[in-house]
Amino acid sequence: MVSNQLFIIFICAAAILFLGGMLIYKIRGMRQLLVQISYLKKSLDDMDEQAKLIVRSDMELNKIQEELDKKIAGLYALQRLSRTISMTLEEDQIFSRIQPEYLSELGFEKAFGILLDNNRQFSLSFYLGYSDEEAMLIKNFINNNKERYLGFISNESTLSSISEANKLINRQELNEIFKVHAFILSPVLPHQNKKGFIFVGTKNASTVLTEADEELIKILATQLSQALENASLFEKTWRAQQELEKKVVERTRELTLAMEEVRKMSDRKTNFVSSVSHELRTPLTSVKGYAAILLTGKLGEIPKEVRERLEKINRHSDELVHMVNDLLDISRIESGKVTMKTEICDLKEIAGKVEDLLSGQLQERKIYFNIEIAPDAAAVLADRVQIERVFINLVGNAMKFTPADGKITISSKKVRDNVEIGVADTGCGIPPEAKEAIFEEFYRVDNAINQGVKGTGLGLSLVKHIVEAHGGKIWVDSTIGVGSTFNFTLPSAS
Amino acid sequence: MTAYRKVFIIQNMQVGIGVSAQQDYIKAVREAVEKAKAGISSPKTDFALIFTTEEFNHPLVLQTIKSLIGPIPLIGACSKAVISNTGPLKQGLAVILFSLNDGVYFNAACIKDIASKNAVTAGEELGEKLLYGCKDVRRNLSIIFSNTGTAADPSLINGLQEKLGRGFPLMGTSSPASIEHKENSLYFDSQILNDAACGILWGGKVNFNLGVEHGWQALGKPRYITKASIDTVNQIDGAAAVNLYKEYFAKEAFELEKDLERLSVFYPLGISASEKKEYLLRSIVAIKNDGSLVFRSDVPETSSVRLMISSKESCLASARRAAEKAMIGLKNKKIKMGLIFSSASRLKLLGRQAPQEIKIVRDVLGEDTPLAGIYTYTEIAPLSSLNYYSGKTYFHNNSITVLTITE
Repeated sequence: MVSNQLFIIFICAAAILFLGGMLIYKIRGMRQLLVQISYLKKSLDDMDEQAKLIVRSDMELNKIQEELDKKIAGLYALQRLSRTISMTLEEDQIFSRIQPEYLSELGFEKAFGILLDNNRQFSLSFYLGYSDEEAMLIKNFINNNKERYLGFISNESTLSSISEANKLINRQELNEIFKVHAFILSPVLPHQNKKGFIFVGTKNASTVLTEADEELIKILATQLSQALENASLFEKTWRAQQELEKKVVERTRELTLAMEEVRKMSDRKTNFVSSVSHELRTPLTSVKGYAAILLTGKLGEIPKEVRERLEKINRHSDELVHMVNDLLDISRIESGKVTMKTEICDLKEIAGKVEDLLSGQLQERKIYFNIEIAPDAAAVLADRVQIERVFINLVGNAMKFTPADGKITISSKKVRDNVEIGVADTGCGIPPEAKEAIFEEFYRVDNAINQGVKGTGLGLSLVKHIVEAHGGKIWVDSTIGVGSTFNFTLPSAS
Repeated sequence: MTAYRKVFIIQNMQVGIGVSAQQDYIKAVREAVEKAKAGISSPKTDFALIFTTEEFNHPLVLQTIKSLIGPIPLIGACSKAVISNTGPLKQGLAVILFSLNDGVYFNAACIKDIASKNAVTAGEELGEKLLYGCKDVRRNLSIIFSNTGTAADPSLINGLQEKLGRGFPLMGTSSPASIEHKENSLYFDSQILNDAACGILWGGKVNFNLGVEHGWQALGKPRYITKASIDTVNQIDGAAAVNLYKEYFAKEAFELEKDLERLSVFYPLGISASEKKEYLLRSIVAIKNDGSLVFRSDVPETSSVRLMISSKESCLASARRAAEKAMIGLKNKKIKMGLIFSSASRLKLLGRQAPQEIKIVRDVLGEDTPLAGIYTYTEIAPLSSLNYYSGKTYFHNNSITVLTITE
């Protein structure tokens, strides 16, 4: 019995000890858990503190990013807007290029442009985000307060919701009139008569304007000013061009009339020369005929002195007839009365004929005559009689100015469809200033050599007329003291 | 005798999308409708979905659309920006025309003057109307647009699900009714509605896949909503709700109010929604004088919340995940169109990279897949994609929902 009691006591004591131990163990575990919980809570708090730092930094970064995005978007919009504005040269079109999407990218939804017109009244250039009635009300308000707004424009300062207060324009007044929460007002063309301003605004209460926004709108206003100036300049230039074109038309008409007059005068001159020449030829023939009869002595013996005078009359009559013939030929060619009877002509043959004709004089003057006709440049399409006259005139002219032991060369070469013929001499040469004039009628170079040489001043003019009647051209290359080459072209027959 | 073989032509479902950004709204409507019609070879159109920005929220726009598309059902919504294949349009409209095959059923309906009704009853009424004629067919999905004075109250959706089924998938948008700001208006046939809800119920041989993502990450320690009523949170962890933001940003309430839009976009609260670490985002819309916070959508009392943070990269990555979820199980099926409802907060957060979000969805859904959608105030969608769908529909903030439509 006692042993049983002792056993029970022992068991109870053991159980108490065990439970006590367990309790101590649990308490220890709980303490550890509490430590861990406290550690976790601290970690969570630390994490939360870190989170706070993160969101604060993130908020700042987001603000900067937003501002940056806004600036970039604004710059892009401004760049595109500037491009489209600068492409317009019509004043009426400039403001209309500000489209709602550009405005939206600049951060606004309302815009208003106004310019002073010729009657010194502000007139609407454009408006966005306003009804027609609202725009008219705003315009009327500005015109009723014109002097204040003109004063503001002349100051060239930009007014905005964030800029310093302006003495002339009250910001609150603008907010109410334009029905916006934030705005920017910038002058356009402040130095010119057609001055005005551009207004942009937003009714969005959360919009916070920055200096960058102000700067962008200032740039836009400058661009608009520039475009308006360009349009104005373009209009002036266009008007000047129209005026010029009108004057050109007028002058052309005057010149045509003058040319017609000149042509008529030239025709009259040609007719006159032709008539006079014809009229001169009859008495000249009589003079020459009577002189010739007298020289024969059939009408009686004539004294030596009389004979000499009669011979002079005869010789000068020949020269006069020659001159009259030349004049007649020039007149005929000028008036188109002479038709060139073209045929294939051999330049070698013509040059040889000229040499034969002038051989006596060449020998007498001791001038060497040379013919250098290229085989492919021998055949030309020309009026044989007229071309012979050209050669005779040019070689005869060369002979007059070529000293003894000099040389005259006739040459030819093919140049595309033409034959270029040259008559070169080793004479005294022609001064550069006379190279064109020598082909004019009655022109003679004014120098000592020329004064000693006989000539009518018609030969080269006649030559020029004949060459040009063949569709060719004539010119002279010359060096004083070395010689001259008269070049002319004729159509090639090969 | 000549033997004739009878040929049956089975008309495929066709979707044509036309978008226009022209300023003249008549020209814009014509352009958009012409483009949409060009996307459909069939002369028969059955249904039209319209998205516009505020500039096009005009009775004449609807009138012109109706005159061009004929007497077919039309629903739609107006928002800050329209989503098109090329990116967001801050001014424009999108017209989506559906030409359906014989096996597809749909019913469009609307309810008005919700403010004068009990929200649950209004939802049930809309559900009844949507079910009309579709009770005996396999129903797939309903697209809902609502703009009510109690936009944050999920009662309307709850009422709707009472009728359509508690597990029935809904997707759409919810926004506050506003007569002054026309940007939230709804379209139903020729009517422009405010304080209303409209929707379309789809059934039959048409399949939908939905992906919902936001891309925000939880930050800091979990907090508990100790006092709240619908969209107003009075206390968090027994203290004024605003204290949470005051603590995190080291700013006084008046300073926080200045940054309210930024806080709403960048730092919403995340309600722990499931064991899958899924969070429903809630953006702040106001700070009350007593320190309560008002959110865009409901925040249930006793919920565990954490401050959320995101970045552009994370946001874009979430768009890819949403699109990928909307592609699950499609195999080689041709997607008829992709419908996107992206939060206006994302438009703000992404800024110049907003078109990138649309491009990512387009890349995943396929370059040729026609896309349309709007930027939203609140998105309506299940918690996860349809394939994993197991519960009711929720309001989402700052999220992107991508819906693919296949046959």
